[in-house]
Amino acid sequence: MPEAQPLLRVENLVTRFKSVERSKWISAVDDVSITLAPGEMVGLVGESGCGKSTLGRTIVGLERPQSGRILLDGVDLSTLRGAELRRRRRAIQYVFQDPYASLNDRQTIGEAIAEALIIMGISDPAEQRRRIRTLLDQVGLPDALAERYPRELSGGQRQRVAIARSLAVEPRVLICDEPVSALDLSIRAQVMNLFLRLHKDLGVACLFIAHDLALVRQATSRTYVMYLGKIIEEATSAELYARPSHPYSKALLGSIPSADPRIEVTREPPEIFGDIPSPTNPPSGCRFRTRCPHAAEVCASAVPPLVALSPSHQAGCVLAEKFYAESAAQPLPHPAPAPRDIQTMHAR
Amino acid sequence: MRILQDFARSLRQLPRVSMVAVGVFVTLGVLAPYIAPHDPNAQDLLAAHAGISWEHWLGADHLGRDTLSRLIVSARTSLVGMCLVLLIALSVGITIGTIAGYKRGWVEEVLMRIVDVGLAMPSLIVALAVIGIFGTGYWNMIFALALAWWPGSARISRAVAVGVMNRPHIETLRVLGASPLRVYFHHLLPTTIGAVLVYATADAGAVALSIATLSFLGLGIQPPTPEWGQMLVDALPYLETVPMQVILPGLVLTAVVIGFNLLGESIALNRVPTPLSRRILASRRMLASNWTRAQQ
Repeated sequence: MPEAQPLLRVENLVTRFKSVERSKWISAVDDVSITLAPGEMVGLVGESGCGKSTLGRTIVGLERPQSGRILLDGVDLSTLRGAELRRRRRAIQYVFQDPYASLNDRQTIGEAIAEALIIMGISDPAEQRRRIRTLLDQVGLPDALAERYPRELSGGQRQRVAIARSLAVEPRVLICDEPVSALDLSIRAQVMNLFLRLHKDLGVACLFIAHDLALVRQATSRTYVMYLGKIIEEATSAELYARPSHPYSKALLGSIPSADPRIEVTREPPEIFGDIPSPTNPPSGCRFRTRCPHAAEVCASAVPPLVALSPSHQAGCVLAEKFYAESAAQPLPHPAPAPRDIQTMHAR
Repeated sequence: MRILQDFARSLRQLPRVSMVAVGVFVTLGVLAPYIAPHDPNAQDLLAAHAGISWEHWLGADHLGRDTLSRLIVSARTSLVGMCLVLLIALSVGITIGTIAGYKRGWVEEVLMRIVDVGLAMPSLIVALAVIGIFGTGYWNMIFALALAWWPGSARISRAVAVGVMNRPHIETLRVLGASPLRVYFHHLLPTTIGAVLVYATADAGAVALSIATLSFLGLGIQPPTPEWGQMLVDALPYLETVPMQVILPGLVLTAVVIGFNLLGESIALNRVPTPLSRRILASRRMLASNWTRAQQ
């Protein structure tokens, strides 16, 4: 749904880090543009080290971008300073992967949430207590937990507290950086369902960073695929999973093991070899060409632009249209998504 | 309040000997005027060089002043001096260190190079130089020692502050839109002070020794204020006839310094996880190997 005024728009963002080698730079995020409509749930997938987290961290201002713009409601955040920037940026919240470290172990849960409320400008203690109760209730935690310290809580409870605290500042965008990958499978489903419910009830837009592809397919309406700092494919989740048109997306989706052993036996391993190249010295042209089974000479000369395959589908590969056409002829490699209840996925 | 609780909790795991030495020193220092049996400055020339007696439990010095009383009141002089030096040195050090740890970048570089210069000069020489320039006096001594001591605490607080700033909960606060002042005063400073206070105990003994050293040289506490270094100097000419008057202040000073050093050392060691003994390691491996066997 990109036609509406996007809530968050990231344009040509570049984030670089100094390499350990002198005068070398690592481009963790290289010329990335994404948009997020109000209330939309968008996935961002890619293998470890491809820059997913750095992209999220740059958007919330934890890393300094080298170039590019981040627009929230059409306002370029880089033009703002100090308190005004903090006030605006508060609309984007970040849920960290590790719920054990994202809370101060000297603060009780109530104090941690109250601090977020004070930052919001709510200083009346009675009002704070009321809000804390509402917030804990929203994430499905009992009121009594407010008196507890983080070390007394389980991982799932801590992640819920972290979410409740993010919600305290009334965000419109949540960037969830693998919010459930540090949790047990059983708790993962609960927390995922919490996200889906909050998304539905509060209308918060979500950028869902994950490497659990099945989870992303079930939770999100649109998905970006990232490889070595670049977005290489973007489509609605249903279309991406049915008709991946970039060799990397095909390989990534092909690597999902099937839950059905009869299918799993016949599943062909993806045609991808080697490790992700060093981002200090990325390959010329298409970044995936060193591992791509279809690489040709043309791939080395220039970065292939994103080709529009349908109104909601873009892929950055010279052969994208061929793959797109091929996938239409084939039966769907993955069955249609299950009903929107994550519980079923793990029960199978 | 929580800083105090943490401090008390860590004190409980410390060696008994050092706790007794430091505890006695602090108690005597606080209660000195109430428990000293005599006026420490009252001269009684008839009792000069008196030995152990009911009147003077630990004898008297060359002017007939009661040694026990002087030892006890000296504890207060030392304690107050030590606290003042540490207070000033830690305030400056923690401020510099946390600013460096918070700002990083060139601010940190500049501040830490200044600290390096401070650390490069032996503390006693710095103190002697300052007293040489500004003259002897109580406050000059305190400031001279504080000047010599702050770089060490700045170095420690910077290390602690960097550790605190790298914890994800600080990042969470920044995402929530917390102002830099809130992050600094509500989260960075309390955590850093708690950790650095514990480390400062190791310094306390060295400060006490330095005060005594300066007083021994006639550059610190001036007579008639009783002080251990002074008592040593006063008794030194009579070393061969009345050795006890030299030995006693020396012993007390040694006990205090050893007490603080043991305390500081065990605190530092408490912060390092102790390696598992071979027996425990073996039993844990055994347990872990059973898990894999059960899975097969």
